[in-house]
Amino acid sequence: MVKSNTSALGIIFPNSYDALVPELVNVRLMASIPFASRYRIIDFILSGMTHSGIGNISVIVNKNYHSLMDHLGSGREWDLVRKNGGLHIFPPFAEKEAKPYVGRASALANILDFLRDAKEKYIIMSDTNMVVNFDFHAMLQTHIETEADMTLAYCEQPIPRGFMNAKNDGRSFYYTFDLEGDRLKKIYINSKEEGVKNLAMNIFIINRELLVEIVDNALLRGQEFFMRDVLMPQINRLNVKGYKYTGYVGFISDMKSYFDENMKLLDDYNLDALFSGSPVHTKIRGDNPTHYINGSKVQNVMVASGCIIEGDVENSVIFRGVKIAKGATVKNCILMQDTVVESGADIEYLITDKDVKISAGKEMKGTDTFPVYISKGQTV
Amino acid sequence: MAKEMIAMLLAGGQGSRLYTLTEKLAKPAVPFGGKYRIIDFPLSNCVNSGIDTVGILTQYQPLVLNEYIGNGQPWDLDRLYGGVHVLPPYQKSGGSDWYRGTANAIYQNISFIERYDPKYVIILSGDQICKQDYSDFLEFHKAKNAEFSVAVMEVPWEEAPRFGLMVADENDRITEFQEKPKNPKSNLASMGIYIFNWDILKKYLEEDEADPNSENDFGNNIIPNLLRDNRQMYAYHFSGYWKDVGTIHSLWEANMEVLDAESSGINLFDESWKIHSRNVGMTGHKISAGAEVENTMVSDGCRIKGNVKHSILFAGVKVEAGAVVEDAVIMGGTTIKSGAVVKHCIVAENVTICENAVVGAMPSGDEDGVATVGSGLTIGENAVVGPNAIVQNDMKGGEEQW
Repeated sequence: MVKSNTSALGIIFPNSYDALVPELVNVRLMASIPFASRYRIIDFILSGMTHSGIGNISVIVNKNYHSLMDHLGSGREWDLVRKNGGLHIFPPFAEKEAKPYVGRASALANILDFLRDAKEKYIIMSDTNMVVNFDFHAMLQTHIETEADMTLAYCEQPIPRGFMNAKNDGRSFYYTFDLEGDRLKKIYINSKEEGVKNLAMNIFIINRELLVEIVDNALLRGQEFFMRDVLMPQINRLNVKGYKYTGYVGFISDMKSYFDENMKLLDDYNLDALFSGSPVHTKIRGDNPTHYINGSKVQNVMVASGCIIEGDVENSVIFRGVKIAKGATVKNCILMQDTVVESGADIEYLITDKDVKISAGKEMKGTDTFPVYISKGQTV
Repeated sequence: MAKEMIAMLLAGGQGSRLYTLTEKLAKPAVPFGGKYRIIDFPLSNCVNSGIDTVGILTQYQPLVLNEYIGNGQPWDLDRLYGGVHVLPPYQKSGGSDWYRGTANAIYQNISFIERYDPKYVIILSGDQICKQDYSDFLEFHKAKNAEFSVAVMEVPWEEAPRFGLMVADENDRITEFQEKPKNPKSNLASMGIYIFNWDILKKYLEEDEADPNSENDFGNNIIPNLLRDNRQMYAYHFSGYWKDVGTIHSLWEANMEVLDAESSGINLFDESWKIHSRNVGMTGHKISAGAEVENTMVSDGCRIKGNVKHSILFAGVKVEAGAVVEDAVIMGGTTIKSGAVVKHCIVAENVTICENAVVGAMPSGDEDGVATVGSGLTIGENAVVGPNAIVQNDMKGGEEQW
């Protein structure tokens, strides 16, 4: 049942910031990058939305979305198989005049009719380049109470290195805010300033009818990027509020941050901060519990189910179905699903994608500032 | 459209020999092997054998079981036509009745079975750990042109008197049935898994119901009646892993055998015969620096800081630094605090074992009791649970139970 005065519709952009992690999105997109031993990054935003009472969620995909379709399925794991609403995936080319989008404004223009016909009063938009247990309900309440036209979430922290170091590709923008009270006064694009900033999380809440009007206008003018082209020029015309988020958040802005954000969860404090809110759901594989065989030595690891571990593992994040043979040594590694480390192999600071095999006796080491990535299905 | 074979799963038993573990749930719902419940095995066997219609007969404490089964989706049994159905006793216009026996439970659900117009019905029991391909069993049944077949296991002769035994000739045709005999003529133990031709089963169920002196039981009534009438009855030899987990000790033993798949034969990592179960959806487990984990199954959500050896940890178990766990089955959500020593025991769900408490002990001499702690209990600081104790109430600090 859609309560047309209070309900919100969720929109997720799973391809945003793909360009920052080119290796990881070779066979997928940002949203379906494996994270924290058993999740995909989209699980965090998606679960946050469903636990905030949003039962109608659209995912606007652009390219490389096969793995995401496979992950989401019908949406059952997130309780999104509904008669009213549920999960919608909008692929490109849904209509003949639609084209693969570049920015949010053009993405929204592609689904303008859908937005026009929706019953929900509010629209909540988010990217999937961060791990966060976000309470969308609290933000929506604030949006309603302050009678804002639009509310943008931000957090106070230094700008992640990956954002700053990225080459200007004309699409991977990040934003920082100046606020006066809770009112957004100025938006900076790709600032290179050091120190703690009001960093945009790219989570928006906006009244649906206003969004339809804005997107319609943007379409007329051929504007691509919602924040840069649409919002920045009229920031003083609209009542735009900032919503400060103070909980745990980790941004994936390059390979190093991907590595670090995983490793941070080996600290119970961070793990609890990320997971103690509402539960995070993911696609179920139905693996057996992990078996530690006699002789295995494990210290400071996070391990999913379905693994068989006989070797030595230290400071690592291990995904589902990984096998580490007797005599193998794994240190400071992220091993994605079904990685096999054969006996006598010795690896350190490695990120192995799905189905990688490290052959017996092989030695391979990256460093803490430059973890080595091995792509899906490779045998070392 | 008629179904070739449907399954009826007897899940109504109390399992009183599991004591506190079945105080609030039926035996088939008892957790097993780190993430499963016993009923996952027959249900997964059904699906893996191509049976898509299963009736589950419940009676004793069905709440946990009902919720667990739900719409049957984890086992792929949420089907438009067929699927899994929980069948409790119900009120009828002619009065109502509890299930009076295994045969009566099926008799009361004749109309359920007839909806699917099956040629064969397989009767399963919900209290065994077994991986079995029922389609092989059905092939045997058809090849023998049987009207009734029973799956049997060869057991050591000295143990035979504890079982219901089938005496069969060289063609596997059953000539005699002995229920727990003093002088066994056979070592073929019935596994309590039967395939019937539906017309035969229906006829004998109706006849049995009309007999006021009957106990309405398959073993005591239906099978002897089939023998009396010289029906086509055959014994199907099964040689895989099979374990009746009807007692605390056998349940503990079966869990320990999971850790030793090579010699016990119960390999839960076998992709070709996967056991499905409902998932809890927790994060990966964590093993901290300083922890020691040896030959153990660990499920999602566990946090291990202490020493764990040769044990099964279900989802969300916490073992604090300085705690010692060995040869133990620790069910979901239980916390073992620092300094506690937990050995050779079964600890049920959501138990808190406080600092320096002692639960169970490794076997010494003839003594190999499995200490058992019921669900939701708190075992106070420095409390001692002896190796034969079955704890059903909270224990205060320093208290002892033997």
